[in-house]
Amino acid sequence: MEYMFAKKINFYKITGLNRNHIQLLLLLIQQSLTVRYKRSVIGIGWTLLNPMLTSFILWIVFSFLFAGKLQSGQQFAPYLMAGVLLNSLFQLGLLQSANSISGNKNILTKVAVPPRIFAFAAALAAFINFIIGLIPLAIVVYISGQNIEWTFPIVFLTGLLLALFVSGIGLFLSIIFIRFEDTVNVVNALLLMLAALTPIFYPVDILSKPVKFLVNLNPLTSFLDIFRWSFSDNAAVTFADFCYIIIISFTSFILGNFFFKKRWSKTIAML
Amino acid sequence: MVIISLKNISFFYRVLNKKHNSLKVLFKDFLKGKISIENYLALDSINFEVKKGQVLAIIGRNGAGKSTLLKILARVMSPSNGELSINGQIAPMIELGAGFNTELTGKENILFYASLLGRDLKDVRMRVEMIAEWAGLKDKLDYQLRTYSTGMVARLAFAVATDQMPDILLIDEVLSVGDEDFAIKSRARMTEMIESECTVIIVSHNLDMVVEMADEVIWLEKGRVLMHGNPAEVITAYKSAGL
Repeated sequence: MEYMFAKKINFYKITGLNRNHIQLLLLLIQQSLTVRYKRSVIGIGWTLLNPMLTSFILWIVFSFLFAGKLQSGQQFAPYLMAGVLLNSLFQLGLLQSANSISGNKNILTKVAVPPRIFAFAAALAAFINFIIGLIPLAIVVYISGQNIEWTFPIVFLTGLLLALFVSGIGLFLSIIFIRFEDTVNVVNALLLMLAALTPIFYPVDILSKPVKFLVNLNPLTSFLDIFRWSFSDNAAVTFADFCYIIIISFTSFILGNFFFKKRWSKTIAML
Repeated sequence: MVIISLKNISFFYRVLNKKHNSLKVLFKDFLKGKISIENYLALDSINFEVKKGQVLAIIGRNGAGKSTLLKILARVMSPSNGELSINGQIAPMIELGAGFNTELTGKENILFYASLLGRDLKDVRMRVEMIAEWAGLKDKLDYQLRTYSTGMVARLAFAVATDQMPDILLIDEVLSVGDEDFAIKSRARMTEMIESECTVIIVSHNLDMVVEMADEVIWLEKGRVLMHGNPAEVITAYKSAGL
């Protein structure tokens, strides 16, 4: 009990939030989930439809090429869709949390709110989007004749860790973006490169050795492997993968918060 | 009881000698050795105390550091040097309605704005109707904010901001909001707040009003306190300083 308590205080200390801010955090998450689709007819249904459409297009293009290259027992459609879902959690979460600080400068320069709350809300909203996307993925898993594994609760942990990872980098980038506007373009190019080095739609086995090495170094590959393995056994994982994502998520989160805390008082004067 | 105390508060903006919006230009100048960092002093060792229930007015010309001081008091920015202590809940009325989202309904905006101001949502949920009724917008509560007129948005923001009596009220110019009826109503509420227990810090260019309301006046000039005393004296000196 005492241990739990000590852990909680640390969390508040790292993030600069207090208990009263949780209600604001929840409101912000709810807002970013609903506002985006406020003017559309099917509303939040887009969250379900979006990954399905993207996956469907990629499936048409790549299924001929790669469907036979997967290891036996693995199915291309859920393999692909898992890649799309996780990648959109990463990309959306990262860009939205990185832009959340400058995007809310109207609020931040007038009301005393802990600024990092906006970045956390963006990362968590991307996480919830991801969770909603698991519903169509489950359908695709059944259609391809697979079953959802008993290990599937691990998916939630994986998603949360990725949200932690993303918000750490997002906090770092949010400061950089405010200081130097053109870094946005550099980061976009880097993200494109990173996406190419993530096995979203191709199997890792088709790669040549040096490229395979790079792809395995990419933390997103470990996240993705664990996700695919725990949901419907569409990838192989090692113990090292788990260690890797846990360490990198917490490192990113703590360093991002630390960097932000250090630079914020100077950065707000630039908003 | 001293509720706000500032000891040697300074604030400087670190500025590069040139504005660099892009990494490329910065890098180029860095290579040429053309970069130096200058400190622009916006506030220079400010000292003062405010007691509970007092009304303090801050006057000064444009660029004297009034807004920076207000932002530091609102805890939006932290001072570069010095000690700031504030005992109590602050309601900054610096720019009302920051954070309103036009796609959300009036009710959702009330909740969001109130939680930005650090209020307990459970309380606010029960008071939503009352807030809207005071703003004269009860029948519009479920409409999106983009269907509101500018005056309505301002009324709603004012109603939320002044719904709870804070310990400390920071005001950037006394606002009169909306049409004539509402302006009277809002001014009455402001006066009520100022005359109550609550401590008020007010920045204003309206000298007549300052004389009427303030207990003490601080005259800020180029980031320094030039004079601090009773309203009549300070304002006479301020006026005779010309401009």
